Amino acid sequence: MPNPIASEAEMSAFLARAGFSLTPEQVAEYAEAYGYIVEMSARIRGERSYMAEPAHIFSFPTEEVAR
Amino acid sequence: MSTDILTISAAAALIKAGKLSPVELTEMCLARVKAYEPELHAFVTLTEDRARADAKKAEAQIKASGPTSPLHGIPIGLKDIIDTKGILTTCQSAHNIGNVPDTDATCAAALDAAGTVLMGKLTTHEFADGGPSFDLPWPPSRNPWNTQRFTAGSSSGTGAAVAAGLVLGGLGTDTGGSIRGPAALCGIVGLKPTYGLVSRAGVAPAAYSLDHIGPMAWTTEDCALMLQALAGHDPADPASANRPVPDYTAGLGKGAKGLKVGVLSRWHETDRPVAPAVKAGIDAAIATYESLGAEIVEIKLSAMQEYTAAGFFISTVERGAAYERMMLKNPEKFGQRYRDRLVFAALCTGMDYVQALRRRRELIAEMAAAMAGVDVVLTAGNPDEAPPIDQVPRWDNLDKPNFTMAFNLTGMPAISVPSGFGPNGLPVAIQLAARPFGEAVLLQAAHAFEQATPWRQRRPAMLGLAEAA
Repeated sequence: MPNPIASEAEMSAFLARAGFSLTPEQVAEYAEAYGYIVEMSARIRGERSYMAEPAHIFSFPTEEVAR
Repeated sequence: MSTDILTISAAAALIKAGKLSPVELTEMCLARVKAYEPELHAFVTLTEDRARADAKKAEAQIKASGPTSPLHGIPIGLKDIIDTKGILTTCQSAHNIGNVPDTDATCAAALDAAGTVLMGKLTTHEFADGGPSFDLPWPPSRNPWNTQRFTAGSSSGTGAAVAAGLVLGGLGTDTGGSIRGPAALCGIVGLKPTYGLVSRAGVAPAAYSLDHIGPMAWTTEDCALMLQALAGHDPADPASANRPVPDYTAGLGKGAKGLKVGVLSRWHETDRPVAPAVKAGIDAAIATYESLGAEIVEIKLSAMQEYTAAGFFISTVERGAAYERMMLKNPEKFGQRYRDRLVFAALCTGMDYVQALRRRRELIAEMAAAMAGVDVVLTAGNPDEAPPIDQVPRWDNLDKPNFTMAFNLTGMPAISVPSGFGPNGLPVAIQLAARPFGEAVLLQAAHAFEQATPWRQRRPAMLGLAEAA
């Protein structure tokens, strides 16, 4: 299990920004989960060119293009 | 008529031959519901009157002009995040406790048009994520192989109901494994089709870009028959694919000769070592395919953790966006486990989401390249037998990679097929995947393995049925 890496104040700030109002006990529980999330966030980052586009970049279907 | 549980294909053959009526078949299923539902909790809503009316209607139509499809008169169930006109659709949540849609989801309408008999709405995790939960208005479903064990989720009721013969087939949805997980742990077949092949319109989202609807049934053939009725373009779903629908049964019975099977050993040997029974199933599948004339090759992909991490951020943030208003307005109406998942969304940044989408594009390209040289990929679907239902860790989507998310992230079709039983007598399974819109060859390969192994001949002991010859 990763060590909690955010302080209670930092966690509270995250959660307040999202509009959540949690008890200190709940915030402490989610601080434990946050360690896992930070570990995973490192996995999705890496050396890549700014030309590496997100998967949801789209093209227009043929029938929607102006004639 | 035997009281043994029929597959869809066997029931369809009897109905077509005039040896079984949909009314008789429906009453068999209803009798099993009465007997086992008190222990299984597979249904949120049993639509007994609707089932009898559907069955009578099908019987009259079939008497007049024969069955219009192999699903005509077949009792099915729908996961309770799928809208059904005039029927309670709860998403297993107190938020939807009185929700009665005024239209059918496209997938529900497709099965209705095929002449199915609707038995009811089946248990799910709340809004299709986060279970098992014991603090919702309805209890979680129980595994028919051992009611103290987890079904997996979130299509838990569909898994239990099909395994116990309460329905002959059902619909599940799959955002990170929610069809294939319950299929594996309940000992049935579950197919997650290619993203966009089956319309999502009218189905409550779990995560928009990862959501798939698909069939769950006792056999591969039954899944193929259901997929045939479900696949097709739907303008109501922005992601719906507009392409011809092939005959998904065409490859069934053709064996595996000439197929190229890629084995993804790294995932189940290194990234998340599986239990011996699961490994034995994979090894048996390799041996079976070799004996059937398939070529086995090893394929290499990034660590499973890479796929799981990208999928985590995308699913978590898309889920948070979908249910943000409910969470802020009435958070107390959610069960704890689903509320956890929504809180996780607050702990992800916008940059996390976009970086995950960039990683997703890279991983799709990687998997497409690896699959270019093979017909199907073989790996595990679940690492072990079903755990005790009260011992599923709260952070279970955080601390270990999962075998199924990779194919949601890449949108490629994947199927869970039973591969034996573990030391506790519970089912284990293999997972096969294919290139986008490769369902026909995927079903062919799954069917070849299924036909070469005896795992479709045993039903849960609670049903008291003799093992089929």
